[in-house]
Amino acid sequence: MTLAATGPAWRRRARPLLGTLVEVGLCSPRDAAPTSLESALEPAFDAAFEAILAVQACLSRFDAASDISHFHALPCGGAMAMRPATRQVLTAAAQLQQASGGLFDISLGTAPDGWHLDGDVLRKVRAPVRLDLGGIAKGHAVDCAVQALMAHGCRAGWVNAGGDLRAFGDVSLPVHLRDEASGGVRPFATLHEGAFASSHFGAAARMALFTADARPPSQRQVSVAAPLCLWADALTKVVALSGNAAAPLLARYQAVAWCH
Amino acid sequence: MRVLLVAAAVAAAALPTSAFAVDYLSADQAARLMFPEADAFEQRSLGLDAAQLQQLDAQGVRARSASWTVRVARKAGLALGFVVADEVIGKTELISYAVGIALDGSVRQVEILSYRESHGFEIRLPAWRRQFVGKGAGSPLRVGEDIANISGATLSCNHVTDGVRRIVAVLALLRRAGGLA
Repeated sequence: MTLAATGPAWRRRARPLLGTLVEVGLCSPRDAAPTSLESALEPAFDAAFEAILAVQACLSRFDAASDISHFHALPCGGAMAMRPATRQVLTAAAQLQQASGGLFDISLGTAPDGWHLDGDVLRKVRAPVRLDLGGIAKGHAVDCAVQALMAHGCRAGWVNAGGDLRAFGDVSLPVHLRDEASGGVRPFATLHEGAFASSHFGAAARMALFTADARPPSQRQVSVAAPLCLWADALTKVVALSGNAAAPLLARYQAVAWCH
Repeated sequence: MRVLLVAAAVAAAALPTSAFAVDYLSADQAARLMFPEADAFEQRSLGLDAAQLQQLDAQGVRARSASWTVRVARKAGLALGFVVADEVIGKTELISYAVGIALDGSVRQVEILSYRESHGFEIRLPAWRRQFVGKGAGSPLRVGEDIANISGATLSCNHVTDGVRRIVAVLALLRRAGGLA
């Protein structure tokens, strides 16, 4: 039995962050008086949104003070210290780049071998390298927000950053898919203790995929479920580029993919 | 991790979906969250005259409306800041939001009040949007409703960002004109 089935009071908040809408849902304490519900959950909501802001501040290429902007300003051969979120996401990106045979490339073709991690230090190896973490950072931000909620003692809830989402605790979260062609949504699955991400790659899509030979992605709309949202988010790109060939990689990250 | 797929027959029967809607906060609730220290909120209707609209235009801001409702947060009579609620239309979504602005004109907080997902074609129809008039921005929260979430291509919040910029510019203009005491 899940909390959703027993009808607890859920509270939801949403703010514009990461260039999209980020929603946080939390289960209210059952015994709390209605008037105290909001004040009891408010610090947890704030902590979740602050965790997302912190990731955005490290990784956004639109923020001149971010680690990514600092990296871009480095001379070739230069090195810099990273904040924890940057180190975590770049470590995951390097791992996935290797595991996918170079398909996952946060340099978007500018210089896949142009950056190098050396412990807590990030080095610029080739001058033209530009990093874009748009394909992985949102997932990590969701994971960080979930951690912040759990650290606040939240027993169940979810975080959804514009379609990259993760549910934790005793909740079965119904997930709907947006029809990218005509609008509208359709029920697709319920998610329990895991993450789910979708990406759409088409003429009008917000995100384009880089491919070395400029071929279009083999899959237009891809969803991936994985224990962590970072992997769900990043693996949608690998699956879109490689289709069935991604199967061993999905197994490695305990992930499942659907091509719509 | 557990993912249970919705049976294809159920998914097919559910098409076409009605509007997907979430109410997060009323404008009053958002105002209290943004200015918890306030003991009163004074609602004021303010109008921009033609000259002010031209000034905004010169700044590259489309005012969109000449009349704005501003909640002035007060404590013991003194103004603490302002809250403005507004809504924007995207490709398939209608988003209501509120902006809390400090006395110095800086943005204190932005909260989404409600979210409506349409089929693409409905969103521009006044009749579709009218069904939500009076809901969301003024109604109490619905509790224990469907907790469904949408996944898909990342939704852009550029419309909200532009809307926040517009509200900051409008309030700065009203303050300079002495319309907000």
